Amino acid sequence: MTTGKITPKRESLLANIRVQRFTPGHDRSPYFDNFKLTVETGMTVLAALRKIKDDQDSSLTFRAFCRSAICGSCTVRVNGRSVLACSTQLLPILKDFGKGSVTITPMANLPILRDLVVDIDPVIDKLAKMHPYLIENPERIPQALEQESLMSQDELNSFDYLTDCILCGACYSACSSVQADPDYAGPLTFAKAYRFSIDARDNFRGIRDQAAIDQGLWSCVQCRKCIKVCPKDTRPADTIRRARKLTIDDGIQDTPGSRRAKTYVADIERFGQVNKPMLPVAVYGTKGWDAIEAAEASLTRHGMEPTRRVCTLPGQEGAARIFEKVREIEQGEKKK
Amino acid sequence: MADGRGGQSDQPRAATRTHCDRSDQAMLTYDILIVGSGGAGLYAALESRLEEDLHVAVLTKVYPTRSHTGAAQGGVNAALGNRDPSDTWEEHWFDTVKGSDYLADQDAAELMCREAPDVVRELEHWGAPFYRTEDGRIAQRPFGGASKPRACYAADKVGHIMLHTLYEQGLRHGVDYFNEWVTLNLIHDGQRCMGVNAYNLRTGRLHTIQAKAVILATGGHGRIYWTRTSNAYGNTGDGSAIAYRAGLPLKDMEFIQFHPTGLRRSGILVTEGARGEGGYLLNGLGERFMERYAPDKMELGPRDLVSRAIETEVREGRGGPDDEAFLDLTHLGRERILERLPQIRQLCIDFEGVDPVEEPIPIKPTAHYSMGGVHTDINGCTPIEGVYAAGEAACVSVHGANRLGGNSLLDILVFGRRAGRHAVEYARRTKLGPMPDSAFAEAETCLKELMEGDGKETVAGIRRTLGRVMSEKAGIYRDAAGLDSALADLEELKDRYRKLMVTDRSAIFNTEMLAALELRNMLTLAETVALGALARTESRGAHSREDHPERDDANWLKHTVAVRGPGDRPELRFEPVVITRFQPEARTY
Ligand SMILES: Cc1cc2nc3c(=O)[nH]c(=O)nc-3n(C[C@H](O)[C@H](O)[C@H](O)COP(=O)(O)OP(=O)(O)OC[C@H]3O[C@@H](n4cnc5c(N)ncnc54)[C@H](O)[C@@H]3O)c2cc1C
Ligand code: SF4
Ligand code: SF4
Ligand code: FES
Repeated sequence: MTTGKITPKRESLLANIRVQRFTPGHDRSPYFDNFKLTVETGMTVLAALRKIKDDQDSSLTFRAFCRSAICGSCTVRVNGRSVLACSTQLLPILKDFGKGSVTITPMANLPILRDLVVDIDPVIDKLAKMHPYLIENPERIPQALEQESLMSQDELNSFDYLTDCILCGACYSACSSVQADPDYAGPLTFAKAYRFSIDARDNFRGIRDQAAIDQGLWSCVQCRKCIKVCPKDTRPADTIRRARKLTIDDGIQDTPGSRRAKTYVADIERFGQVNKPMLPVAVYGTKGWDAIEAAEASLTRHGMEPTRRVCTLPGQEGAARIFEKVREIEQGEKKK
Repeated sequence: MADGRGGQSDQPRAATRTHCDRSDQAMLTYDILIVGSGGAGLYAALESRLEEDLHVAVLTKVYPTRSHTGAAQGGVNAALGNRDPSDTWEEHWFDTVKGSDYLADQDAAELMCREAPDVVRELEHWGAPFYRTEDGRIAQRPFGGASKPRACYAADKVGHIMLHTLYEQGLRHGVDYFNEWVTLNLIHDGQRCMGVNAYNLRTGRLHTIQAKAVILATGGHGRIYWTRTSNAYGNTGDGSAIAYRAGLPLKDMEFIQFHPTGLRRSGILVTEGARGEGGYLLNGLGERFMERYAPDKMELGPRDLVSRAIETEVREGRGGPDDEAFLDLTHLGRERILERLPQIRQLCIDFEGVDPVEEPIPIKPTAHYSMGGVHTDINGCTPIEGVYAAGEAACVSVHGANRLGGNSLLDILVFGRRAGRHAVEYARRTKLGPMPDSAFAEAETCLKELMEGDGKETVAGIRRTLGRVMSEKAGIYRDAAGLDSALADLEELKDRYRKLMVTDRSAIFNTEMLAALELRNMLTLAETVALGALARTESRGAHSREDHPERDDANWLKHTVAVRGPGDRPELRFEPVVITRFQPEARTY
């Protein structure tokens, strides 16, 4: 059998690769170097960086190890977007933007060590505080090594997708909440904690719940940027919502975040909308009164009359019916 | 082993340390120091750290979870019998020995196969998310060369989940990690281990780490073929080269397993699945050339045969424009590819810029696994007391001339654990000795010299040539003339290396320095590979001599052992193969 001579389709393009350079303590501030490079079909961002390092500037500094999207070393930003350099094809990007130029900068939200290399210890330290390991549930994990610890594929599937995380930090680099609050633990850390907490073989969920809350579980603004950049499609923002629900189900209801969530739900059932004027008290308790009084004073100054109660919207009945239905379904599931 | 340790009740230690910042201390002290954080290193670390009285640290040139173990996809072998209850460890043992082309030591292979179920279950008890059978046990799949389905798996990420589980449990149990520290040498007095010198990549500082026991778990050396390998950039055989320079023997270095289908540019594997689904192998002329080599099995012939077939096509001028062959899926049609091979398709798009729905995938055989390594016994011990080796860096030997798929992940668990255990016993009965000053000075000079060459030679230049020499002359096909010439080339490369200059002067994260240090190790090992290959005048397993195409049990049923001789040249000795039950037979499948 023969199909005739094979001529692979291969294109190339002379491109301008702009790379951010910076050695703290040596350079006063970050600057850009421009490298001219012939980029061909199949060349990844990482291959381009390596070619530049080999042939043009051996001091260009970046991390890479597996070059196959499994080790999580090579995260950088390409035209502002956090990606794995090793699995990002360069030619389509150059053609897409039409200008034959691309800008490569280090991950955001982390201190730069040199050029494209950042210090990821802050992420790993935050992760470590979440107890990111299985603590054996003696009812599920036998003492003797002769026995397996039984678990169904369904049980595994509830968290299997989360074990795809390669700790690449792309989500952390893109995260709005980390940017706003450096103490916020970041998408991957909550996701990893959750992975263990819902593992049927684990015995440490309560402590992890609290650790997650202490590190900002309720501060996520659900911007979903982490979902957009994750190269393994683990959807951290969705997991964060599930993790929040888990903490409430586990009885940790006395946090500002959980109170807010619960108030939202109760208000919508009752009024068809959130009772915004009273939200500060619902969330922060008596401390909330200060905020309410300040808001009211400001309204009065502007000649408006403050209110502490919202009206019931016409759609409220519909909303209440939906709640009714949800409860029914939940009941049914519990019985099963 | 039924003690089920791993502590049901113990709480995690209060201070979980993810990395050690000891940049201020010139000298650090541990009972057990593990070099390398792949599966072998992390298992050894956990095993020894669970003995709470000992201080254990892992020193690694990348973050632990970046290690190459994470790239393993297929499975880890253990005769659990979950899918086929008739499977036994004895059958696993036989498959291993046969697969090794009878060069494995049968006592070591026996031990590995016996202990396999325990280590896999221990990992499971630590939380490793293996896929499950209907009745909730660990799922198993068939694998090449195995008579029963015994590869335990988790989708295509089995190495990844194993590595992460071990790292997580290490965090829990208080293992110290030195991340992005590069080990340079072993400190010893010829009889006993004293520690290592290591280079902190972040600060450029050199440190001495004193340790009663050092376990080298630095992985394989597939990178001596440079771009023609499935291995990570850092698989440069550092530990094996360090051991060799310390006077320790390396065993069976000539055996390198090639995988037939690596992507043209990067060497990344396209797994057998693509051929299993009916993919064709085509040469540059579009001929389905396997007709000439394996008319019955065609594309599904054994790995070594397919690799050789591709190599022959290219050598005889029937390759593609880049000396590649092609894996063609286009005839399967878009729908079938999207449904059955979505990951392989994505892999080709991401890494090669080629959509297999539209055009054939350019491939080359790629160096995949290093059977050879530091000569150890079944406890990882070497002739220097307190120095251990485990994992792909070591050669016990359980893989002989050819490793079976799924046996390497097993090897790293079993022998990582054994090395850890033995090191614990040793460390308990040993006291730290005085440190010779000379070791530090030596390492310092080595770094300094690299900054002082005349600058005509670059890491990239030498490395590229090395890769080419090894691929062409000591790769899939070998013969005396080629290997002779390879050895001469390597001698020349060693000369060029002496003139090398690291032009990056920064102390901070100097990756050019790292690459230069790695290159030295690669050159060292490449020489032992070529020398072993030249000496072994037979074809066995992955070692294929065109001028000696037959296996020769009368003369070569023995291990080669390379030690550093005068003039920094390796010398060869031989060791008998341990045969306990299975007499050598022809290896046919
Ligand atoms: C693509 C691919 C797929 C594979 N699939 C399978 C499979 O399905 N089943 C199977 O059984 N096997 C498989 N293998 C083989 C298997 O993955 C490896 O043999 C095994 O993981 C090696 O583990 P290790 O612990 O010995 O070393 P590695 O995981 O390679 O770890 C080496 C460690 O040493 C460190 N190190 C190296 N040098 C230094 C130094 N100088 N200083 C400090 N630290 C250093 C590194 O940082 C790293 O942490 C596969 C291999 C590849 C390439
Ligand atoms: S959704 Fe939350 S965790 Fe994700 S990026 Fe936005 S703020 Fe961060
Ligand atoms: S969740 Fe995704 S983006 Fe974040 S570290 Fe893990 S793999 Fe990377
Ligand atoms: S180099 Fe490993 S993920 Fe890119």
